[in-house]
Amino acid sequence: MSIFGSNEKKVEEKTTFNFDIDKENINQSNLAKDIKIHGSIEAKDYIDFAGHITGTIKSSTIYLKPDSYVKGTITGDTITIEGEVDGDIQAKDLHIKSTAKIKGNIRYTNIDIQNGSIINADLFYSS
Amino acid sequence: MNYEEHKTGNQDMESVQEYGDNDSKTVNVGAGVRIEGRIDGAEVSDISGTLSGTINSSNINLNSSGIFNGDMSGSDITISGNVEGDINSDQYLIVNQSANIKGTIEYSSLQVSYGAKIQGTIRHKGSVHSYTPNIEPIEKEDETENHENDHEEDV
Repeated sequence: MSIFGSNEKKVEEKTTFNFDIDKENINQSNLAKDIKIHGSIEAKDYIDFAGHITGTIKSSTIYLKPDSYVKGTITGDTITIEGEVDGDIQAKDLHIKSTAKIKGNIRYTNIDIQNGSIINADLFYSS
Repeated sequence: MNYEEHKTGNQDMESVQEYGDNDSKTVNVGAGVRIEGRIDGAEVSDISGTLSGTINSSNINLNSSGIFNGDMSGSDITISGNVEGDINSDQYLIVNQSANIKGTIEYSSLQVSYGAKIQGTIRHKGSVHSYTPNIEPIEKEDETENHENDHEEDV
């Protein structure tokens, strides 16, 4: 019975996973321009953020759109910044685009910065 | 005697001018060469060796084999090698993939390629204006334009 039970769970997981792929990409959250958050956002896969947040964002992939504003800390594997950040950023792959404005501390393994971005920050490299 | 002196003097001047024209304000530090000290007033500096000290040049190119320790200032700077110290760029600062920088960077326009290592502080010049780009700078520009117009009218 126990073996049967575990099989059943696996099937459930697979079906929900497929459902996500069919609808959108893997667990993607989109937060639009007019959203203002005081607190924290945490996700497993992907956050697409265009609003304002005072607090923290945590996800494996984070994409901050041009009009976004983050005051606080951002933690993720791959972070792309096109908006304004005032606080700490921690990423394995950090992409700073031309529209980005960053103030604070940046901890990274790989970084690339586009022409036009405004950065006033302390950079810490960690392999 | 006077004629000869005049002639030799001219020759000297010509040779100096020729030398100046050919190598005008360029500095080349070849790979394996070490220099310590201060370079000032150069236009193009190409560094593949080791340079310790201060460099002031409008164009600076630190190649991947180049090592620099000290203060660097210029308008267009490209870094592909190792830097320990301060970089001050008035215009374009390009940091290539092979670069390894420890220190303080002051820039107007910065481009960093994926894979470059930077440890230290980055400061954008004139960021007071650019942090509030929506309202304030436009008003200030208008004011300066008006002042300029006033001056022209007075003259």
